[in-house]
Amino acid sequence: MSTVGGDVTRQAHGRRLFRTSAFRLSLIYATLFSALSAATLGFIYWSTRDQIESQVDARLRLETDYLINLFKSGAMPELLEAIQRRNQIDTYGRFYYLDNSESAVAEQTGEALPIRLKSIRSHTTRNMGDVADLPPGSPRAFNPVRVAETQLSNGLKLTIGHEISDEKALLDHTFALVAGATLLTLLFSLIGGLSIGTSVLRRIDSVSRTASEIMSGDLSQRLKVTERDDEFDEIAAKLNQMLGRIEDLIRSMRQVTNNVAHDLRSPLTRLRNRLEVTLLEERDPQNYRAVLGEAIEDADSLIHTFNAMLSIARLEAGLDAIQWEPASIGELANELAELYGAVAEEDGLHFEADIAADPRYLCNRHLIAQALTNLLDNAIKYTCPQGRVTLSVTGDDDAFRIVVGDNGPGIPEHERERVFQRFVRLENERNSPGNGLGLSLVQAVARLHGATVQLDDNEPGLRVTMRFVRKR
Amino acid sequence: MRILLVEDDVDAAGYLVKGLTESGHVIEHAEDGERGLQLAIANAYDSMIIDRMLPKRDGLSLIEELRRMGNMTPVLILSALDDVDERVTGLKAGGDDYLTKPYQLSELTARLQALTRRAQTGVQGTVLHVGDLTLDLIRHKVTRAGQSINLQPREFRLLEYLMQHTGQVVTRSMLLENVWDYHFDPQTNVIDVQISRLRGKIDKDFNSPLLHTVRGAGYKLQEAASTVETG
Repeated sequence: MSTVGGDVTRQAHGRRLFRTSAFRLSLIYATLFSALSAATLGFIYWSTRDQIESQVDARLRLETDYLINLFKSGAMPELLEAIQRRNQIDTYGRFYYLDNSESAVAEQTGEALPIRLKSIRSHTTRNMGDVADLPPGSPRAFNPVRVAETQLSNGLKLTIGHEISDEKALLDHTFALVAGATLLTLLFSLIGGLSIGTSVLRRIDSVSRTASEIMSGDLSQRLKVTERDDEFDEIAAKLNQMLGRIEDLIRSMRQVTNNVAHDLRSPLTRLRNRLEVTLLEERDPQNYRAVLGEAIEDADSLIHTFNAMLSIARLEAGLDAIQWEPASIGELANELAELYGAVAEEDGLHFEADIAADPRYLCNRHLIAQALTNLLDNAIKYTCPQGRVTLSVTGDDDAFRIVVGDNGPGIPEHERERVFQRFVRLENERNSPGNGLGLSLVQAVARLHGATVQLDDNEPGLRVTMRFVRKR
Repeated sequence: MRILLVEDDVDAAGYLVKGLTESGHVIEHAEDGERGLQLAIANAYDSMIIDRMLPKRDGLSLIEELRRMGNMTPVLILSALDDVDERVTGLKAGGDDYLTKPYQLSELTARLQALTRRAQTGVQGTVLHVGDLTLDLIRHKVTRAGQSINLQPREFRLLEYLMQHTGQVVTRSMLLENVWDYHFDPQTNVIDVQISRLRGKIDKDFNSPLLHTVRGAGYKLQEAASTVETG
């Protein structure tokens, strides 16, 4: 059974091979090249044939002219003798004879007697008695010949034959060469096409195998990139990048789902417990009011988390719903500096704004403001009293950076990648308010604007740099 | 206040009707756009709350139709679509304010009140008064009890907005939207700090405070009265 199966697969593989574009292309080229070489070789063949023929014909004409001159001078015995002698010497595979023409006696028309030249596949001699003839049964008489026939005025016909078997052989050989070369070209192109097709198929098969594995759920699979660095490798590398991005997205989606479930469960549980405990015993209205107020605060924080999640999801979903307009970044930064300067001062922090540039930038002002607000919120939240929070804008319209710095606890280097993920909160901030979405939103906004976000050590503290370049 | 509510989500509508009725309003509820249009044409309302997505007739088209017919009743658009651009679309269609779900009842009532008030007072004068506090829009001057008060430009706009809504609860997001043009909620108390600075300038050296905090809702600028809940 397995052999049958194998045959079927092989057949299917064969059919696929013939369908490959590589095979088809090589087939087309093979046909073209064969046709071209056949034409060239054919031309050589025909011109060789012409050349040979005209050489033979010239010889025949020369001989005919000589014998006819003898005939014209009326020396019949000399003519016959000349023919006999020539036949006996038999050089150059030539033969001569005179025979009684069946046709009417040609009229004596002046000097010239027409010579008729033709090729004959094989020539049979006839014994004509008194006329000069070939020795009967001469084997070469059956070979292909070129003959010159001349109708003499006395009713005789002079025939001079020239054997062309050697020339014929040469021509046949040439023809065989032409045909062989054409066939070989075709054959080699076919084999070449098949082998190219096979190697293309092999690489395509590897791609499609990987694709199947990915479809069956193993997202970590990647296409094989060989050392050859050819167009297949180029496309495989690109597809791998795409797969990486998809894997990232899916992983973050899974993680988000997990985190959402996890992070929303605790405040919901807290809210539920609060209400449950309150219901355990009779309390005075004021007490109820207070608990309800707290419950509302819990609910508000949940709503806030949901809103932030929705915003990030919407930003990540794409650009189509976003309105872009040029905005003055310096003005925006100054506004925020005014707002947060006051907050920082209230919290006993030093706030320094260094708005050295005022780039005009095509963006969504609200989103940029929201991202900066998140950064400033964080900076103020994590900086202890007497600490320092800075906001600076430097650069020009083509490229500028916005830096928010603080001298709080900072983020350890190995955590700096992770904090961009949704709901990720570091151990030491578990108990402070926040939902772990702030930096995710900053990154989503940056990505949307083609900007980058970088976290650095502010020695001590955290320095967040957003780098923007002008969009083309 | 007589309010028309056009909302297809029965639960959300029930909650709104209950909440608004308890604060003394009369609510009529329509569950789809066509019914909403009929009611709006047949009756005179002080304000309307219209959901963005409605069966039979979309909320925006309902508003556009009303405006075309010359009905200028203030409209608050409710929507699950929270996007600056969505907001712009909603306001362009003829809505007066835009609130994203989920919202807080206090936020909704405050905005509703601001809308009706704006519609009632119409064009504001160039000099605003609350008690002995005066704000001159033309000369950019603020005085209290005859003393000149020096305000930063942003503080001036903040006070202007509060004075335009004297006696009403103004929420933090209303202030962020109208004074700073930010359509999102910062997590820190940026507005509280700005208010406390303003308070330092207009209330601190005077006996009766004008700027009050309304717990769980926002702020209110009002002459001292026994009904004001301060916190």
